[in-house]
Amino acid sequence: MPFPDVKLANRPLHFLYLCDCSGSMAASGKMQALNQAIRQSLPGMAAVARDNPEARVLVRAVRFADHAVWHIETPTPVDQLEWRDLQAGGITAMGEALKLVAAALQTPPMEVRALPPVLVLISDGQPTDDFAAGLEALLRVPWAQKAVRLAIALGHDADLEVLQRFIGTEPATAGRSPRRPLQASNATSLAQYIQWASTAVVGAASMPASRVSETPLEPAAGNIPLPDLPPTVLDPTDDVGPLVW
Amino acid sequence: MSWILPEGASLGFEGLAAPLRIVRGLGGGTQGQVYEVDLEGERLALKWYLPACIARDGGLERRLVASIRATAPNEDFLWPIALLRASPASRPLIRIRDESFGYLMPLRPPAYVGACEHAAGRLAIGLRQVMRACFGLADAFHALHLAGLCYKDVSLGNLFLEPASGGILICDNDNVAVDGADHGAVLGTPGFMAPEVLLGQARPGADSDLFSLAVLLFRLLTRHDPLKGQMELAIRCLDEPARRRLCGEDPVFIFDPVDDRNRPDPIEHAAALITWPIYPRPLQALFEQTFCRGMKQPSRRALTGQWKQELARSLDRRSLCPACGQENFQASGAPALCWSCGAPLPEPITLRLPHGSVVAAPDNELHPHHFDALAGEDLRRPLARVVAHPQDPRRLGLRNLSSAAWSAETHDGRVQAVQPGESCSLAALARIQSPAGPIAVQRPIRPSPIA
Repeated sequence: MPFPDVKLANRPLHFLYLCDCSGSMAASGKMQALNQAIRQSLPGMAAVARDNPEARVLVRAVRFADHAVWHIETPTPVDQLEWRDLQAGGITAMGEALKLVAAALQTPPMEVRALPPVLVLISDGQPTDDFAAGLEALLRVPWAQKAVRLAIALGHDADLEVLQRFIGTEPATAGRSPRRPLQASNATSLAQYIQWASTAVVGAASMPASRVSETPLEPAAGNIPLPDLPPTVLDPTDDVGPLVW
Repeated sequence: MSWILPEGASLGFEGLAAPLRIVRGLGGGTQGQVYEVDLEGERLALKWYLPACIARDGGLERRLVASIRATAPNEDFLWPIALLRASPASRPLIRIRDESFGYLMPLRPPAYVGACEHAAGRLAIGLRQVMRACFGLADAFHALHLAGLCYKDVSLGNLFLEPASGGILICDNDNVAVDGADHGAVLGTPGFMAPEVLLGQARPGADSDLFSLAVLLFRLLTRHDPLKGQMELAIRCLDEPARRRLCGEDPVFIFDPVDDRNRPDPIEHAAALITWPIYPRPLQALFEQTFCRGMKQPSRRALTGQWKQELARSLDRRSLCPACGQENFQASGAPALCWSCGAPLPEPITLRLPHGSVVAAPDNELHPHHFDALAGEDLRRPLARVVAHPQDPRRLGLRNLSSAAWSAETHDGRVQAVQPGESCSLAALARIQSPAGPIAVQRPIRPSPIA
């Protein structure tokens, strides 16, 4: 006879992409690279979601250019997600994007109980609107304070200082360097970072992984210990070297 | 996935006479990547570590070498076979700059699936199989602890189940070390870690294994977490500090007989409330022992041998509800109701053995430990199995799985031989003489309509 049909209690894990779609993203194939990186990361993300039955992984995305709008507004289970391509064009309303996310992280519409949300901000330039006001609005929301906030800087024009303010400053802990925005200088490294955020970080936020003694067990700075970044895998077939943004 | 070892390539390793062909990548995580490999026609698995993992865990290589020398405690472990370093000629083919190593182990057969599939409710598996898997787990840790070793990182992620049989496999044995010899970096997986380890007051060892084992058994048997009740519902954001409070600073078992602060919620934690009453009282008592007194006193936790004994006895008590067919495990004697449909359970026919008794229900088995007081509980080599008649499943028989003939005696004194592989009907049977010992058929005072 079958085991009783009972389901494990679970909590939602909200994963939000904040994607820069300003005109500069059209240069050197950056927009295409981002669309590809996210699309390619989805099967791995779905596998992590399957392996973590205590979490219900739900994805949303905001794009920002002249204005910030929802690209995927409904929190969507990752296995049902279809990634429509983002188009580049306009300026960089990053502050507006943060306000949009801040409103979405209010309770309601946010559930009363959840796992820490994961916010991933991807940008290749400088905000053209009031970033500080957007960040302030975001960080007033408790769920945003609890969120794992990651930033990926595309190319050398990205405003690292702004991205650092988004993820917050975290002091160096034993054996670990302080958190910095991830700097993607080409399509390969962008794809690796997107994959890391959508698999390793989602895994860490949904169900804790094995701990080693080096991981601080004390109530540490972050509320979720971040997993190691992917190692640099050398590609022997790639003699020319990837295009550098 | 970017594979560190090139798929399809043949690589040479120090100490291996033949090259190893990398068949395909199977998966990867923060520690390393696992590959299916081919060594002279034999399929094996290779785990290759990331340099960051080796750098963090100074004792890794020493532990692996010791484990390889010690060999596996029993066949349920995917145990390291050999430590591998790339030969100088193959080193340039490995797509990572820093030096690294890996180890060979048996390849997991495809019928075995991750235990989280059961936790998620996606696996078609029976209660008997889940109980057998729990027994296998207790048995494997019994063998490991008796060898003086400890596992340190028990979790759902390191266990595989074969749903058809309830067989298990334990992977990621690279943290195994001599109990008390502290050269390991791993602390365990939060949610499974003993409170004293989570709080940094103790290093993981055999005592903390007993806590983690009980969590894993509870999760397999109930599809729920032993510490997630009302106190978890009071937490809005379940992050690290919250888990630390829930599982370390103030852990309360959801079925603690005294402390009712963390009772399951009827809606959110329905799984625990539905499944807990299925299990017999002595089995529940082992969970209470581990999660109440044993929560703060590691030496009071239920031992692997106790788990083995109660899980084996629970399987011996298994009966089928005549109304709905669901499996029940309640002790005989007291009038009982089916946990699933509420129908009264008739007093079953019981097979009385020199050491214990087994309810006559299809698929229940007699084992050497039922006959020999000195034999430890072991479900691998059954001597007999209760079988249902192919045409009339209400008629039960007993199949001789041993290698010697039995002598079966009916109520009217007739004696017949039951050869190995044959079955005899239980309907008119009084007793069986087998080389292992006598089997007496005990019928309820008021006979049930079955058999």
